[in-house]
Amino acid sequence: MLRTHVIVKTAIRSATLLGTVFVLLFVAAVANGQQSTLAQPDSPWTTLPLTSKSPEAQRLVVEAMRVGLDLVEQEQSDVMFRQAIKLDPDFAMAHELLAQNSLDPAEEVAENAKALALKNHASPAERLVIEWWQDATDHKLISAITKMNDVLSQYPHDKWIIFMATNWLTTQTQYERAIAVYERSGIIDSPGLMNNMGYCYAYMREFDKALTLMDKYVASMPKDANPQDSYAEILRLAGSFDKSLEHYRAALAIDPQFYSSQFGIADTYSLMGDQVRARQEYEIGFQKFPMPELHQVQWKTREAETFIREGDLKGADHAFQAIADDAHSKHMSQLEADTYRQMAMYQPDPKQALMFVSKAEAALKDGRNSMPASIHQEQAQILRVRVEIAVKTGNRQTVNTVLARLDEMSSSSTDRLIDTAYHGAAGAALFSQHKYDEAISHLEEDKNNPLSLKLLASAYQKIRYSAGAKRTSETLANLNDPTLEQAMVVLPFRKCYEDPSCSGNVKAVSLKK
Amino acid sequence: MWLVVVPCVVQAKQLAIVTDTANTTTNLTTSDLVKIFNAHTRSWPDGRSITIVVRDPSSADMQLVLRKLFGMSQDQAHAFIQAHKNAITIAESDDEVIHLVSSTRGAVGVVDLYSLTKDVNVLKIDGKLPVEQGYLLRGN
Repeated sequence: MLRTHVIVKTAIRSATLLGTVFVLLFVAAVANGQQSTLAQPDSPWTTLPLTSKSPEAQRLVVEAMRVGLDLVEQEQSDVMFRQAIKLDPDFAMAHELLAQNSLDPAEEVAENAKALALKNHASPAERLVIEWWQDATDHKLISAITKMNDVLSQYPHDKWIIFMATNWLTTQTQYERAIAVYERSGIIDSPGLMNNMGYCYAYMREFDKALTLMDKYVASMPKDANPQDSYAEILRLAGSFDKSLEHYRAALAIDPQFYSSQFGIADTYSLMGDQVRARQEYEIGFQKFPMPELHQVQWKTREAETFIREGDLKGADHAFQAIADDAHSKHMSQLEADTYRQMAMYQPDPKQALMFVSKAEAALKDGRNSMPASIHQEQAQILRVRVEIAVKTGNRQTVNTVLARLDEMSSSSTDRLIDTAYHGAAGAALFSQHKYDEAISHLEEDKNNPLSLKLLASAYQKIRYSAGAKRTSETLANLNDPTLEQAMVVLPFRKCYEDPSCSGNVKAVSLKK
Repeated sequence: MWLVVVPCVVQAKQLAIVTDTANTTTNLTTSDLVKIFNAHTRSWPDGRSITIVVRDPSSADMQLVLRKLFGMSQDQAHAFIQAHKNAITIAESDDEVIHLVSSTRGAVGVVDLYSLTKDVNVLKIDGKLPVEQGYLLRGN
């Protein structure tokens, strides 16, 4: 699903990580029925005000952010946001926070619109935050960046602002910048930020720094499950599967209801190659824990990927179809489209693949309970799959036609995901035409996708850039994100490494077992 | 167990050309920009002197600038900047570039796209903004 496409687990808790800063806040005495803002008198640093006519609504939002950011109780914090909105329906920032935090796509859409409509009830600083996020949603990237930096310059030490900024930068794959914002903030005691930054370092593949931060995070909250869960996920990204399982189990020992860790165990077994055990662990999770739809779809998708990892495409079809049917019955159009798109991706028969692409497009056309930005992103990803299928069948005309549409979408948008979809597709098309130099310039723009990384390594090899081919192959071979692309590309890549009869540039990479 | 070799996934950079907000220029061609950065063009159309503000040539962000605007190696760029001290200022960080550009009339600088603030104007290059396809200062 798109919202969690870029950051797998952080997205689950990302939005949850709101509000440590407000732990220290107090609720100002306010006159009944008048707008007032929440202040922070004891802090040496200025913090973002919260404007509401209801002191109780303000208190609830502060508490919701504390619960979300420090305790990683996203659903609980959403309940509090909703209570606050009930008390003060004009509380713009509460609507904004709920929009960002909600796991219900329909609620996200509705709350986003309300926050924007009510922004004039908020302080200038809150308005700036709402506009920043609105610009980001509308793909007005330069304006969003400018507003983010404006907010950061006003509140450089506000933990919540730092969280929002680093989180958004992470979704933009601007890990270096996110780390710079964090380090400049001077905040070293925020567990939520330790968590987020640990992921940033991990995405930069700076695992030593990531794990050092995780040690601090665990030490700061020894009785909390999330630090152990995050530690486990980062270890898994680093390829330390056995240690990862230990930490997931430690998280569940602390909090048996922390279902993210149960699914983390399942994901890890899948990456380790034990798909039967992985499915058993997923099923334990589904039977044991009630969870929001978005989480349910995410892990059902991971479970479906286990069939891809063991080469059982019929099993995968069955599992993915069940997810699509469920999404359809619940009117979650973008999730339904995304599921059909994924089905198209792994089909060996181009006709079958095109049938699923058409289903994806039909679901997207329905467009219910989906943010316009998500629909555009999905549309671009579907077009990319269309290009890849046309490349496979050698249909040059379709490649050019669909690529032109993607090009147009990318040119008229500043959305990173749409952009990478275009570059990935263009790179694949140019590679198939043996235009390696041109392909490289596109593929380098899509370096987080194993499909593009594989082509990039080959393209470097073709132009005799051995160092680039080796570096890219190493990156590819060591990717441990439980995604469909990882299952489709990385596993065969590693198998080739282990097979003496298999040739290719993978032999040049440094893998250790 | 698979062990990671720590290859860093480097994202393609997007750099922005910025001027002070009083500057009325909104677009430059690649050729114009190269002339400015090579100190062949020393003033704006309105007559104000151009001051170039960049990061140290050895910084990671500058590699793209050296390749596409200066057309020089690091060593050549160091020597060139030394020889043009009056026209080129080195800043320690993107924030300093923004500060110097915003407070110096006629200044032009290069910063990472994600460092942009409201204190500077962003110039188009060949009609394109940094976020647009085909923009010059984008790449590794």
